[in-house]
Amino acid sequence: NMAGLELLSDQGYRLDGRKPSELRKVQARMGVFAQGDGSAYIEQGNTKALAVVYGPHEVRGSRGKALHDRAVINCQFSMATFSTAERKRRPHGDRKSSEVSQHLKQTFEAAILTQLYPRSQIDIYVKILQSDGGNYSASVNAATLAVIDAGIPLRDYVCACSAGFVEDTPLADLCHAEEAGGGTVLSLALLPQGGQIALLQMDARLHQDHLDTLMEAAMTACRSLSTVLDRVVREHLQEVTTLTAE
Amino acid sequence: MPVDTKRVRGPDESQSPLLFVLPSTGKPECPQEGREDGRQRSQADVRPVFARCGLISQAKGSAYIEAGNTKLICSVYGPRETDRKDEVDMKSGRLVCDFRFAPFSCPKRGSWIQGSEEKALSLGLLESLLPAACLHKYPRSQIEVNVVALEHDGSVLAHAVTCASLALADAGIEMYDLVLGCALRQDGPSFLIDPTFAEESGAQSAGSGENQGRVTVALLPSLHQVSGLQSDGEMAEDTLVGAVKACIEGCQRLYPVIQQALARAVRRKAPPTAV
Amino acid sequence: MATVQISEAEKVYIVHGVRDDLRVDGRGCEDYRHMEIETDVVSNTDGSARVKLGYSDILVGIKAEIGRPRPMVPDEGFLEFFVDCSANATPEFEGRGGEDLGTEISNTLYKVFNNPHSVDLRALCISPKEHCWILYVDVLLLQCDGNLYDAISVAVKAALFNTRIPRVQISEDDEGTKEIELSDDPYDCMRLSVENVPCIVTLCKVGQRHIVDATLQEKACSKACLLLSVTSRGTVTCVRKIGGGSLDPESIFEMTETGKRVGKALQSPLMELLQKEESLGKKRQKVGFLG
Repeated sequence: NMAGLELLSDQGYRLDGRKPSELRKVQARMGVFAQGDGSAYIEQGNTKALAVVYGPHEVRGSRGKALHDRAVINCQFSMATFSTAERKRRPHGDRKSSEVSQHLKQTFEAAILTQLYPRSQIDIYVKILQSDGGNYSASVNAATLAVIDAGIPLRDYVCACSAGFVEDTPLADLCHAEEAGGGTVLSLALLPQGGQIALLQMDARLHQDHLDTLMEAAMTACRSLSTVLDRVVREHLQEVTTLTAE
Repeated sequence: MPVDTKRVRGPDESQSPLLFVLPSTGKPECPQEGREDGRQRSQADVRPVFARCGLISQAKGSAYIEAGNTKLICSVYGPRETDRKDEVDMKSGRLVCDFRFAPFSCPKRGSWIQGSEEKALSLGLLESLLPAACLHKYPRSQIEVNVVALEHDGSVLAHAVTCASLALADAGIEMYDLVLGCALRQDGPSFLIDPTFAEESGAQSAGSGENQGRVTVALLPSLHQVSGLQSDGEMAEDTLVGAVKACIEGCQRLYPVIQQALARAVRRKAPPTAV
Repeated sequence: MATVQISEAEKVYIVHGVRDDLRVDGRGCEDYRHMEIETDVVSNTDGSARVKLGYSDILVGIKAEIGRPRPMVPDEGFLEFFVDCSANATPEFEGRGGEDLGTEISNTLYKVFNNPHSVDLRALCISPKEHCWILYVDVLLLQCDGNLYDAISVAVKAALFNTRIPRVQISEDDEGTKEIELSDDPYDCMRLSVENVPCIVTLCKVGQRHIVDATLQEKACSKACLLLSVTSRGTVTCVRKIGGGSLDPESIFEMTETGKRVGKALQSPLMELLQKEESLGKKRQKVGFLG
C-alpha cells in the first residue's frame, strides 16, 4: 500500500533512519520527585513520560472498593495539554485516555504482587509530557520504574513495546508517523523472564500467518527494553547506596 | 456541553450588534470633575442603595439590593446536612457560595451555564464572607449562599458581598459582623467610587496616563477588618493604598443603610411586644 | 499535597519562630527558598519552562496557534491560561479533584495579565479582525510544596521569555483571498518582550508578622494571605486576599509595601538568569527530568 512504501525505504530504513527492529534511544531516571512514594521519568525517542506511585495505602473514598485478599490498583493516564502537535483541550477524561488508564490497570494487576497488600490501594499516575507514538508503552515502562522506586514487589519487570507490520517486515517501537499510517499496531506488555504476556492489543487487520513474526518482533523488543530498565535500576541503586554510605 | 434545544439558536457565526455601535468619543468630558451621573470624582460618593430582607419565602434568609442600576438578589439555605461526607474537617460548617449572572443581566446575553468569571466571583464572595460567619457553631453542616445578579451595572462583586451578608443575617446565621463591599475604578490621579458598568469597563479618560485599575474591598465595619480584597489593572503602590482606603470609607458610608434594612427585617419578624 | 494538617504544638513552634524572624528551615521572613529554573524543556512547544521551588515543581508549555481576534479588540491577539492540577502532584487531584484549584489559579493569571502593558498583545495580531496569534499558556503542576502562585508566575514569565513565534506573511491573490504563509526559516521568529511581565508574591500572615514563600506547614498556620503581582518597575497589577481569614487595613498596607519590595527584587536576578541561560545557546547542557 501507499503508506507502507513511505514508511520503509527500498534500502530497508524507516522514516527516522532506524532499521526495522531497532528501538529508539531510551533514557530514564528513577526518583525524580521527593513527595510521592515512587517516581520515574522515561524518554523513548521523543515520547516522554512521567510516572508517580502513591501507596500502598488505605483505600480512599468508599470502603466498599477494598478487596479482602489483595490490593486495589488505581491508574490514571493523562497527557499534558501541550504534549501533542495540536494542543489538547483536556488532559484526561476523554475516551482514549480512559482506555489507556484501564489498560495500565490490567497490566499492573498482572505484574504487582497484589496479594501482599490486602485491603490497600496503590495509585499509579502517568503523565505524557511529549507524545510521539507508543504512549502506552512508555507509560508502562515509566510506571514499572516508579513501582520499583516505591519498593513494591513485582513478579518481574513489565516492559511494553509497540510493533507494526509494513511490507512483510515487522517494525519495532513505532513513532507517531508510523502509528498514524493506519496500519497494524500491536502493543505488548511482557514479563520477560517467564515470557508471560501482561497485555496484548492489536488494531487493524493482519494475516494470521504474520502474527507469529510480529509477536516475535515485539517480544524481542520488550526483552531488550528490560535490559535497559534493569540497567537503570541498578545504576539508581548504586547512586543511592553511595549517597547513603557517605 | 449541554445545548439548549428549546430556543432557536442564532447562526454559528454571529456578532453582537453592540460591536457596530460607534464608541462615543470623549466620554468623560472634564475628567477632573464630575461623573456622568452627577457624582463627584475622588470622593466616597457611592450610589444610593436600596436594601430589603426576606423576599424569598422558601429560603431561610434572603436579601435584595439595588445600587443605581445594579440589582442583586440573594437567598440563603441551611444550615443543613453536608453533601460531602468525605470532608476531613467536620468540626466546622461549610459555606458554599454560588454567584450567577442572570442571562439578561449583562449587555450581552449570557449563558445559563456558570462561566469562569462567575466561578471567580463565587470564590471572591466566599472568601469575603468566611471571616464573618461563625462556622464553628454549625458542625457537620453546610450553609448555601446563592446570589443572582439581575442587572449588572458595575461593582457587582462589592454589592453581592453586602447582599449576601444581609441575607445570612436574615437567615439567623451567627456572624461576627456584617460584611460590606465597595468597588473603585482608579483612573489616573482620580478615582471613581462604586463605578457603573460603563465607568468600570470604559477606556481611560484623556491625559490620565498610568494608574488604571479596579479594586474591590469587603469590610467588616465594626471590627474594622478587611475580609476581601481584589484588584487588577496597573497601579503604583501608593495609589493602591489610597484606593483601598477610599473603598473602606465607601463601605462605612453604606453601613447605616444596611443596618437599617436589617433592623427593619428583625422588627417585622419579631414585633416588639407591648410592655 | 495541596494542604497539610499540623498539630497545635507545631503551630505554636512555627508562629513563635516567625515572631523572631527565624523560620523552621532557617530562612528569614522575606527569603525565598532555593529556586531552580530551566527553559526550553519540552521540544514540541513554542516556549516552555520548568521551575522548582522547594519541592514545588511546575512545568509550563506555551503553544502559539492562529485564530480569530476577539471582536471587541480586533487588532490584538490574546493569551489563554489553563492550569492542570494533575494527579501526579497529589492523589486528591485525581479525576476532577484538581479542577477547582485549576480554575482558581487560571482566573488569577487572567487578572494578573489584565492590563495593556504586561504583554504586547498588538504584536500578536497578524491581520486585524481576521487573524491573530493565540498563546495557550498551559501550566502543569507536577508537585505541590506550597507557594504555587509565585512559582507559577516565575515559570510563566520564563516560558514567555523562551517563546518563539514563527513569522508569518499574508499574501493576497487576484481574487482577494488572503493566505497566511509561514516563514521557511525556523530561526525566523518573533519574540515577546517580557520586561513588564509581573511576578506574583504571596505573603502569608503568621501571627503578627507576614512571611514570603510559605511552606505548606507555614501556610497551615496562616489564616489569610495576600497575593500581589508586581512588575520590575514596582507597579502592582493584581491583588487578591486568599484564605478564610481577614486582615486589618494597616497590615494590608504593610504587606503591600513588602510585596512590592520583594517582587521588584525578584525580577532582576530572574531576568539575568534567563539571559545568561540563553547566551549559552546550544552549549547548554539540558537537564530536564534526567538530571
